[in-house]
Parts: sequence; structure tokens; C-alpha cells
Amino acid sequence: MIYNWKKIVRFGLPLLTLCIIIEIFAGQILHLGQKTLVVFPIFLISIPVINGVGGNIGCILGARLASGLHVGYINIDFKDKKMRENLIIAILMGIITYVILAILIYFIASLGGVLMGIGLIKFISVILGTGVLLVCIISLASVLTAFWSFKKGLDPDDIVAPVVTTIGDTLGIILLFLFIGAVGI
Amino acid sequence: MHAKEMLKQSLPLLIFCGLGGIVAGTTFGVMTDIIQNIPGLIVVIPAIIALRGNINTTFGSRLGSAYHLGIINAENMWNNELKQNIIGSLILSFLISIIIGILAYVTTILFFDVHPDPLKLISIVLLAGVISAIILTMMTIIIILIVFKQGYDPDNITGPALATFGDIVTMFCIFGSAILVEGIM
Repeated sequence: MIYNWKKIVRFGLPLLTLCIIIEIFAGQILHLGQKTLVVFPIFLISIPVINGVGGNIGCILGARLASGLHVGYINIDFKDKKMRENLIIAILMGIITYVILAILIYFIASLGGVLMGIGLIKFISVILGTGVLLVCIISLASVLTAFWSFKKGLDPDDIVAPVVTTIGDTLGIILLFLFIGAVGI
Repeated sequence: MHAKEMLKQSLPLLIFCGLGGIVAGTTFGVMTDIIQNIPGLIVVIPAIIALRGNINTTFGSRLGSAYHLGIINAENMWNNELKQNIIGSLILSFLISIIIGILAYVTTILFFDVHPDPLKLISIVLLAGVISAIILTMMTIIIILIVFKQGYDPDNITGPALATFGDIVTMFCIFGSAILVEGIM
């Protein structure tokens, strides 16, 4: 038998507790902005989308970099051509995905009658601003984490996913509030 | 794999996951009344979603590895290896849920001087954490079983599938638990 529930709990508990502490801070930022979110539920609808897409892109990029590093066609070098190609495509995918989903969310919110006078352009500006900045930071974090863990002799496959999803959740919420404020909602 | 293939293979999946995010977000948007009625509830939401994501993707990826190692297969699923994995995931969910409840309670008092009902908050997190764990563990096993029968590699399927359904199921569980606990207490 290779699996043992005690081992699963013992290995899982420390990393999960650390993630949870950071996520509670993300939750407190939501708490801070609760009034805005309750008045404009369209942003509550957007939060799982913003965080989910950001985290997924970070994970896909991380998994690709990990494979490249393991096989040897990507080197630990910030000028590495293959790495840069992956990085640019990841950011591009993020932009396309956020535009499509922002329009969809706006359409669903207008069907549900919860637009609260927010215009399409204003809403897309907030989501796209948040999304583009988020994917850029997450993608860079993914590259840094993949390089760092590989250099340390750790498997990037184990490390990148929890790191980028936690960054995505926290930063996604902070950036959303910044852009809501910047656009003047 | 070239960058163009990455765009072709990952973009549809990203948008599909984003659609799942919209469903989860809409549940979040419908919850505005209960969020206002139960102080501290909004704080636990990112943490419970992250807990589910982390525990289930590691569970799924361990089952994937077990499949590759030949420990489990479609004919021999319900063995002790799988049971140990299920027990480990459930105990982790139980423990981390309690930690989330306590952390949310303490930080809400510290940061906002708002005093949530600790018993109510911890009951909601525990109920949502454990129920979503049971549902998603069963879903993971069903997904793995289908993937085995079709002869696909579980590593390519379980991650995105769990990420998409995980958020929706978890959001429903938080909402349901909040209504239930609010009704009883």
C-alpha cells in the first residue's frame, strides 16, 4: 500500500493552512468592499471568473514550463525564446478570454436586471483592466516560481499551481477594487 | 508542443472554465441578502473555494498517478488505496474547515471590530466544507471511472473538470449551509 490517510493529512495540512491564511486576507478585502459589491452584484458575479481564469492561465503556463524544463527545451534564462513565446501566448489567451467572458457577464446581468446603470464600456474597462494586469503578474509569477523551484531541485508541477492560484485569488480581488475606483463606479 | 497548439487546445477549455465561473458567480450574486445578514460570511468564501480546489485537484492527481502506477484501474477501483485517499481528503477538509471558521472569526474582530456569531460561522464553514468534500470526492471518482473506461489519461481531464464543477458545487454548498444554519440558529 502506498497511500495512507495519516500521511495525506500530515503533508497536506501545512501548505493548505498557509494558503487558507492568505485566502482569509482575500476574504477580508471582500469584506472591506462588501458595500460596493452588494450595491453592484455584477462584480460579485465577476469575482470567481476573474480569479478562476487568472489561476488557470498561471497553471497551464506553469505546467508547460515544468515540462519544458524537465525535457530540456526550456532553460533557466529570462531571455529564453521558448519561455518568452509561452509567456506571450499565455497573456494573449488571458486578454481574449476576459473580453469574451466580460461581454457574457454583462449580457447575463442585464437579463437578471442587475446592471445598476453601469455601461458596457465601463464594465469591460474594469474587467479587462483587472484581467490584463492580473494575467501579466500571474504569468511572471508562474515563470519565476517554475524557474526557482526547478533550480532548487523541486518539481515545479507540485509548486506552481498552489502559488499562482493563491496569488490569483488575492490579487484579483485587490485589482478589481482598484479598477472599480479608477473608473469611478 | 508549439505555442499555436497551446492557443488551440487551451483557449476553449479556459472559456469553458470561465462559464463555470459565471455560474458560481451568479450564485454569489444571488446571495447578497444572506451576506448582509450574516457578518463574516463573505470572508470565508475565497478560503472554502480554495480549500476545495486544492484538496480535490491533489486527490484527482494522486488517483491519476495511482492509475499510471497500475495500483487502481477500472476493474479494481474500490481497494484500500482509494479508501485511504478518501479518508485523507475528508479529514483534511474537516480540519481546514474548522481553521477557516476560527481565522475568519478572529480576523473580522481584529480588522473591523465586527463581532460575528462564532458558532454560526464555524457551523456554516464546517457544513459547507464537509458536504462539498463528499459531493466532489464522489464526482472525482465518477469522472476517473469514466475516464478509465474511455481509455483516456486522467491527468488531462480531472484538473479542469474539477476546477469548473468544484467552484459551482462549493458555492451552492456555502449558500445552502448558510440558509440552513440561519434557519436553525
